[in-house]
This record gives sequence, structure tokens and C-alpha cells, in this order.
Amino acid sequence: MSSLALDPKVAVERVVGVGVLVLLAAGPAVFNDYWISTILTQTLFFGIAASSLVFLYAYGGMISLAQTALMGISAYLLGNMVTQRVPGGETKGLTLGWDPTLALVLAIVITTLIGLVFGAVASRSLGIYFLMLTLTYAVIANYFFGQVTQFGGFSPIAGINQYTPGFVGDLIDHPDKLYYIALGTALCVYVVTRYLARTPFGLSLQGIRDDPVRMTSLGYTVPLHRTLAFGYAAFVASLAGILLVWWDGQIAPGNIGIGATIELLVMCVIGGLARIEGAWLGAFAFIVINNYVRDVELPVVGGSFNTIIGLIFLVIVLVSPDGLMGIWDRLWGAIRRGGGGGRPEPAAVGASTAREAGSS
Amino acid sequence: MRRLRSWKLLLPLAALVAVGSVSVSGSLAASSQASEVRVAIMTDCKGAFAFGYELDIGGAQAAFAQYAGGKPKNRKKPSAGMTGIRVGNTPVNIVGYGCGDDTAPTAIKETRRLMEQLRADVMVGPLSGDEAVAVANYAKGKPTKTFIIGTAGSQDPTMQIAPKNMFRYHGDGAQWNAGLGEIVYKRLGWRRAAIIMDDYSFGWTSGAGIIADFCAIGGQITKRVFPPLNTTDYAPYIRQLPRPGTVDGYFWVVGGTGTGASLKAFEQAYGRLDPKQHAGNLFFAFLGADKEVAPKVVGAYVGGFGTAPGLKTKQARAYEAVIKKWYPDLPAADGFVHNYYNAAWALVLGLQKSGGRVGAALQAAMPRALKGGYEVSDNGQIRLDSRRQAIQDQYPLQIVKQGNSIVTQVVGYVPNVDQSFGGLFKPSSPPPGRAQPKCVKKKLPWQGKIKVVRNGVITNQTIR
Repeated sequence: MSSLALDPKVAVERVVGVGVLVLLAAGPAVFNDYWISTILTQTLFFGIAASSLVFLYAYGGMISLAQTALMGISAYLLGNMVTQRVPGGETKGLTLGWDPTLALVLAIVITTLIGLVFGAVASRSLGIYFLMLTLTYAVIANYFFGQVTQFGGFSPIAGINQYTPGFVGDLIDHPDKLYYIALGTALCVYVVTRYLARTPFGLSLQGIRDDPVRMTSLGYTVPLHRTLAFGYAAFVASLAGILLVWWDGQIAPGNIGIGATIELLVMCVIGGLARIEGAWLGAFAFIVINNYVRDVELPVVGGSFNTIIGLIFLVIVLVSPDGLMGIWDRLWGAIRRGGGGGRPEPAAVGASTAREAGSS
Repeated sequence: MRRLRSWKLLLPLAALVAVGSVSVSGSLAASSQASEVRVAIMTDCKGAFAFGYELDIGGAQAAFAQYAGGKPKNRKKPSAGMTGIRVGNTPVNIVGYGCGDDTAPTAIKETRRLMEQLRADVMVGPLSGDEAVAVANYAKGKPTKTFIIGTAGSQDPTMQIAPKNMFRYHGDGAQWNAGLGEIVYKRLGWRRAAIIMDDYSFGWTSGAGIIADFCAIGGQITKRVFPPLNTTDYAPYIRQLPRPGTVDGYFWVVGGTGTGASLKAFEQAYGRLDPKQHAGNLFFAFLGADKEVAPKVVGAYVGGFGTAPGLKTKQARAYEAVIKKWYPDLPAADGFVHNYYNAAWALVLGLQKSGGRVGAALQAAMPRALKGGYEVSDNGQIRLDSRRQAIQDQYPLQIVKQGNSIVTQVVGYVPNVDQSFGGLFKPSSPPPGRAQPKCVKKKLPWQGKIKVVRNGVITNQTIR
């Protein structure tokens, strides 16, 4: 009987999760327009992109710096395919003027295929070498779109959100619609990723994360698993890229530069790399800080957003390597100990939480 | 150990609570004073044009001080702010300064912050070409907000995109170069030339002005070379240019740190620079190029920036006195200062006419003519065309030695330069790009009418 009882921590998390979901569902009635159209919509799609990175790390043990690039690739593909060269229309890129639904599908499929190729090349590398390879992808994508002017060039491809599929409709005049699309997409990504982690594929991926040599000796094809995981992460990142251009209306090399790549990593670290929920939490914290401390100037050291986010990043890395989700885990442990009879604090929160995330 | 652990929890929690309390107040509050006009000034505080931050803000606020009673908080530092701006009975509140980095993504991020979070009704800015393209597209979706471009030179915002709520009271990059081609054709005898230009919207627009002007009078552009922005090694691109002797000269439209680097690469490939064989856009004598580049090409002709340093007209002196009165350290003849000043002044005039109302009422009331600091034509008025783009006098420059220093001086006055170059550029025609415009002989409205400017005085003599 006791094995069927719900862990109180999981119960609390589920209550909080449902509460957050209800709040988000009622979003436009609760929050002002700026919060809906900018803070929360951005949180949702950057959270989706961050979740692709967290998925690779939490379940596959791979830290990828290519997720922003993959996000940008889908955005550039969509921009090149849907925009038209007409008076008042776009003037950069291929301006193919294709059907937006077809372009949407193609952008996602092509980005996923590129992700599979990226993954296949990087699948035999680990640690710092994997990180460097994915950084190379990020740099290549940035330079390709920045310098091959036929596909965009330094200037942005703009006006992309004027061309949306019929079932999506007008997003420029109806930011609430984009918010709900982003919310639905984020929810689907969360559910599918959690589900994937429990499938035989997900479990063997976690086995590869913990001990690739043993998994190889058991007959698992380690590079194939890693490649497929990378492909799934590329698919998720491509969704974020589509939402980015529907929100922003444009895509430029600055969206996928090294700065943007690092920002996504910072979101993941702030939220917590070990748990998928950390992706959205980190994105939310990053975007709120970005928006509300811009005019704050630190005494003595000076500086504003970059200094403050840098300090917060430093504090989080030093105090809670598992980010805000790690703080929650520690807080729960402290409460349980304070109440007596709590579980002992894990020796290595990061590793244990990652494992928990995989099995919960 | 236990105490240490509790600190580890409390520290990040305290930080989160601090940020959270600030943001929650911002997420729910939606009150606004309907009677005030909320203005944002968008410029760059990072990137290649970061030096323009105080110049832009200073230019705009000098106009608010002069025409709307604004009081600078610090005359040495315009970004310290301004109080007491009032147009008629309507208070005008500067709600924030945008901090761009000359890229479109940051420009949009900052524009959203200013227009949506800080709820500005009007934005004066942005500063650079790509930023203006991005903001023009954004403006299309915000018809009740009004955008007055600060000093951006790309053509698209008021030609191909042209949202009805966007205004520009200065020329674009092509207009700034009007007259340069005719001057090198007539004075230096150029007939065949090559052009090297940055591969992005401002580079294309600026180069388009040179090509259109030079070809219109009969010159030939035999080669166009496009180094990507932020190139560090220009040698491969210099090698793509025709060798000296096979063309009469070279036009340079390479900005930022690239100006000096590209000329150096040319020197290394072909020896010392002959100023009679080189002409450039404003980057030849701008953005630090006055120290690094200009000394190498003393005597070379340079495209303008819509201003005329040293012009001796009553209107120019009056404008320069206004800038000196409110912000004594600002260089009045700098294009950044002048263009932002005009933009803010136009806003004051618009608000006066609309009775302090914003949105469509303000857009209808925005002035269609404005007495620009260095304007001479049409009784000294910059006029707007049907796409709300300035028709403005332009002033080609020459790099000269004055005592021990190298300076630029105005050599020509090109009257009434319009964005279409007499119909060459149209909303329906391809925008400036690698192959646009084509090199065609054409009668431009100002062709043969460029007046010689000598010691700051416009003479009756035309350029020969």
C-alpha cells in the first residue's frame, strides 16, 4: 500500500503546477497586455527552446550550444519561404512567397533533419568535445545567415508574421492568440518530453547518460540513441523558432549569435538543468530580470542588466548548481528535516535530481 | 554547517523576492495619466554607434528645451533627463531611453519595452539602418503609436515599408550622397569607377546614392564588391577590385572599423593612396575616421550627412546657438544631434497642432515642412513627401588640411534632394541591393545645379 502513496513533494509540485497552469490559462484576464504579449509569450517559447537543451542534458548527459542555432534555422527557413517581394513586403532573403502551412511543415521537418545530421556528427563525442562541436554549429549558422545575403544577410528578414497559416490567423492584431498557441505548444512539449523519458528509448538514453560503456556492452547503439535524442531536441527547438518569428515578425543573425546562445544556456542554468520544468522557470526569471532591471545601475561597480544577470548567475552556480529547481529541492529537504523524520539531504543534488527527473 | 546551508537558501530567495516584487507591480498595474504625452527616445548605447547615445538624446532634448519649456537636469549629460516639458496645457513625459546596439533584434526588444512596458505614445528614434527597418515593420502593427526616425539611413522604412505612422525629417543614406558622383565626374574627370560597399541595408542604400548620381551624369561603375559587415581581413575583397589604372577611381562605403582596415588593405596591395582616386560616403570622415582615415586621403571628396559644418547662414547660426544654449558640449553640426533635434521639434509642432492629442490626431498634425538647421531651399524648409520622408538639401564635403589639423569642409550645395532620385527609386522597384540600382544615365533634378560652397558661403557658381 505504501508504495502506491504519492510522495508529498510530488503532490505539492502537482498542485503548484496545476495552479500555474490555471493562472496561465486565465492569463489575459489576470495580466496586463505587456505581460501577455511580451513577458509570458517570450517565456513560453524561450522555455520551449531551453527545454530542448535541458532534455539533452537531463536525459542524455549532453550540453548542446546548438539549440539557439536550430531555433534560428527554422525561423530563417520559414522567413525565406513565406515572405513575398511586393510593394510594402520583404526585401531580404529568397522571398519565395510559398503557402504558409507548407512552409511551416517544411521548416520544422528540415530543421529536424539538420538536427539529426548535427547529432550524428556529434554523437561520438562527449563532454567538452561535444560542447565545442555544438558551439561550432552555432557559429556556422550565425555566419551562414549573416554573410550569405541570398538567405538573409546582416539585415533582418522582416514581416514574417504577416504570413501565417489560415488555422493560425492574424497574430499581429491578436497577441492573445499567439500567447495561447505558445502555451499549448509548451504544454505539449512538456508532456511529450516527460512521456519520452519513460519510454524504452528514454530509459536507455538515461542509461547511456549514466554509463555509456555498460550500455554498449549490453548491445545498445549509443551513437544512434544520441542522434535520435538530438533530432528530437532539434524538433522542439524548431517549434520555438517558429513561435519566435510569429512573435517578433523578423529574424536576424543577432537572434542566433553567440550572445543569444549564451543567454539560452543562462536561462537553463538559472532554472535548473536537471529538471525539464527548470527551462520555463529559468526563461521566466531571465526575461523578468531583463525587463525590470534595465534602468537599475549598481552602486560602485556600475553596469545594469548584464552585470546583474551575471551576478545572479554566479550566485546560482555557487549556491545552487541545480538552479531555482534545485533551491526548491533543498527547501523541501529543509522543511522535511525541520518537521522531523525527513529524508536525508542528497549528497549530490545534481546527479540525484537528474535521475529523479528521469524516473518521476 | 547548518547556518551556511540556510544562507545558501536565503540568498537566492531574497534576490528572487526583490526582483519579483518589482515585476509583480509592473504586471498588474495598468493605470495611466491620460492627460500626458509619453515620449521615448530610442538610440544606441552599445555597439558601433554607442558614442551617439548622448548626442541623440541631447539633440532631441535641446528641441524640447527650446520649444516646449524642458529643463535639462545636467547640461553636460543629456541622459540625466529633462523635466518640465509642456506643449500647451499638456505635459510631455520622457518615459525612457532605448539602448540599442545597431542590430535589429535588440532594437525591437527595446522598442517593445518603451512602447509596451513603459507605454510611450511616441518614439523618437532609432539610430541605425537595420534598426529602422525592424521598427518600421513593428510600427505597422501599432497604428496608434507614432514613430519619428532619429537618424537612420536605410531606404526601406519610408520607401518599401512606409507605415503611415512613421516620419523621417532627414535624408536617407542615398540622399546624403547626392552630388558626390557629379563632383568627381566633373572635378576629377572620373568616367569609370569601382565601388566597395558593406553588404547590408545601410551599405546598399548609401552606395545606391553614389551609383545613381555618378551613373546619371554618364559615369560607369565597372565593379561592385561587397565585404560582409564586421569583416576584419579585407585583402580578398580588395583583390576583387580592378587594379589602379583600369578605373579612374574607387568609391568606399565601408563603415565602422572597416574603413581604416579596408584602405590599409588597398595600400598594401597597390601602394600609397592617391586622394584623387578615392571618394567615400560619410564613413570617410566620421566614426573616428577623421583621425585614422582622413589623414591618408587629404583632398578626397566625401558624401554628406544632411548637415553643413561651417555654413554661414542665419538659420544655421540660430540652430547652433540653440544647441550651445542647452548642451554646450554637443557638436551642433553632427548629423546625430541635428537629426534628433529636428525629429523632436517636429513632434512639438505636431502636438501643438493636435492640441496634445496622440495617435491618429497627432499623425495628421505632424508638420509637412520644418525649418531645418542647414536648410536653404524652399525658404529654409525641409519638406516631407507623400511617404512622410524628408526632401532635404545635401552638402558634399572635402577632406582638407587646416593648419596642423585635418578637417572636412563643405564644397557643394545640392538643393532639394528627394528620396526617389527623380523617380529612379520607387516603392514598386527593387530596393537598393547588390545589383540595385542599375547604372543608368538619367537627368536628376539637381544635375548641373550643384552650387559651389566656399568658406561656408553658397555661391552662385555651379560645380564644373
